[in-house]
Amino acid sequence: MKTLQLGIRNLRRNARRSLTTLLSIAFGFAAVALFSGYTREVYRGLTLQAVHGELIGHLNLARRGMKQEGRLHPERYLLRPPEIAQISRIVHEQYPQALVAPRLGLSGLVSNGHVSTIFLADGVAPADMKALRGPRDRSGTLSADAPQGIAMARGLAALLGMEDGDDVSLLVSTVHGQANAADATVIDRYSTGNAGLEDKALFVPLALAQSLYDAPDQADRLTILLPDIALTDAARARLAPAFAAAGLDLEISTWQELSAFYRQVKGMFDMIFAFILAIVLTIVVMSVTNAMSMAVVERTREIGTLRAMGLRRAGVVRLFVTEALLLVGLGCAAGLALTLLARAGVNAAGLSYTPPNGTGSVLLLVGLDGGRMAFTAGVLGLLGLAAAVFPARRAARRPVTESLAHV
Amino acid sequence: MTLFELSNIHRNFALGETRVHALRGVDLTISRGESVAIWGPSGSGKSTLLNLLGLIDAPDEGTVRFEGRDARTLSDDALTDCRNRKIGFVFQGFNLVPVLTALENVMLPLQIQGLEGGAARRRAGEWLARVGLERFAGFRPDKLSGGQRQRVAIARALVTGPALVIADEPTANLDSENSRAVIDLLQHLNAETGVTCVFSTHDPRLLEHVPRRVRLVDGRIEEAQP
Repeated sequence: MKTLQLGIRNLRRNARRSLTTLLSIAFGFAAVALFSGYTREVYRGLTLQAVHGELIGHLNLARRGMKQEGRLHPERYLLRPPEIAQISRIVHEQYPQALVAPRLGLSGLVSNGHVSTIFLADGVAPADMKALRGPRDRSGTLSADAPQGIAMARGLAALLGMEDGDDVSLLVSTVHGQANAADATVIDRYSTGNAGLEDKALFVPLALAQSLYDAPDQADRLTILLPDIALTDAARARLAPAFAAAGLDLEISTWQELSAFYRQVKGMFDMIFAFILAIVLTIVVMSVTNAMSMAVVERTREIGTLRAMGLRRAGVVRLFVTEALLLVGLGCAAGLALTLLARAGVNAAGLSYTPPNGTGSVLLLVGLDGGRMAFTAGVLGLLGLAAAVFPARRAARRPVTESLAHV
Repeated sequence: MTLFELSNIHRNFALGETRVHALRGVDLTISRGESVAIWGPSGSGKSTLLNLLGLIDAPDEGTVRFEGRDARTLSDDALTDCRNRKIGFVFQGFNLVPVLTALENVMLPLQIQGLEGGAARRRAGEWLARVGLERFAGFRPDKLSGGQRQRVAIARALVTGPALVIADEPTANLDSENSRAVIDLLQHLNAETGVTCVFSTHDPRLLEHVPRRVRLVDGRIEEAQP
């Protein structure tokens, strides 16, 4: 009789108790797995929104100090054509397939001829925008064939009563502090996904932005799109010394650092995950501890018999640890089955909701987070092991005669 | 040849505020191949003496020597291994593992030794046949009668080929017919295999054919025959 078989039979011996414990593990595991699967989808969506939707790309390069003093002294922090070319060359030496997109931010007033309101514009070359958008939907896209064509956030368009094809005037302050204006045509409207920007945001062709800002061929930052998002941190680590060696004093930011919304949401969900995990672990540990403690007490005489027959203390502990691990293993397997069923049901139901600060509803999707599921199963296994070891050790250390006399 | 030697054994227990003197200066020598009955009234110290002989308890005073070695010098693991290889137990309440079949119960001590499953199964099957229960190999304890359970326990005690079998009141839960049969079986196996048998009983009717009888009264050996 192998320890495993003996464990299975002992679990079946107290079928109701084993089933209750197993279900508590299964539901606990499923709760954690479903939540982590949901957050995984949220993170995926937020990542796509940040990298491709907000056109943040994977890395952002700007002259050091741009963030702090760029508004006060823009001329000091703009990147000139030779620097842009040098940076592009260095990036392409390391990552030949990477995209290096010059960007120029603008703010000012936009008018429909009757009313004006403020805008925050992002200047980007239409071809670069297309590459940065990647697999995302194409709304809010600029066109290389329309040098004066701009994409306007739906909220802003609604504020000004703009439709595609309508003309607007853009008034900005140039890099030298003088007023400058240009006419533009709304060629597309888009949703920013961010309520704070929905009534302000514009995309304008880079050349138009440079013209308005009176900074021909210049940029306030460069956006880098790497062949793979997983390269982000490694790329920063590789590029930083290369830029320094070339005498370029640049600040390199990753997309996570630039997307405050992603960081905040991830931080909040990670905290909720930890909270749920702690609750689930507490319940499961109590359940397994209760099951194992009762099993040990009920089988004290059996333990005495086995010890008398020559089973070492470690052998007794092994018996109960095997049972606890079996419970956890079967519970996690049942939990995985529950997770897959619930996930399929939720995803098929097509439920949607409006996220905080969002401008539209998004589908409620549940993914599979293998890493977190494995982590949860591992922690449950360890805690199950601990829950069995302590009562089993105590029972194994009890004098054999006492165990045999146990009623 | 001496198997066990007990010298001046004292064993006390605390029962609440009261101190119970279970054994008071017991001297006993048991030779290989002997069949010994420890008898006496309830509370005379029979079980305590058997626990010491089975190396599952230690005296407060005195020396227990098994095969010439002082039991106090052995670690818990060494004592445990010694019990597994050299001592078989038959308990008053049978103490069979309820989730195992009769055959699997008999296999247990062999598997604790690490004997491979097939060999353990063969040897356990042989022992079940020797106690007349080969047809009940696949039965769990709750499907066996009291006499059958005790025969399974005897097979389990003997399957490793021990030097000693300890049976503490093996007939206490059996009717007189089954009690007689169990004692006869122990006697028969003692004669056939040469294993030393020490059993306790408070029923003097079971002592007729036992060659050596030791009577305990109030923790002292009062009478040792022959």
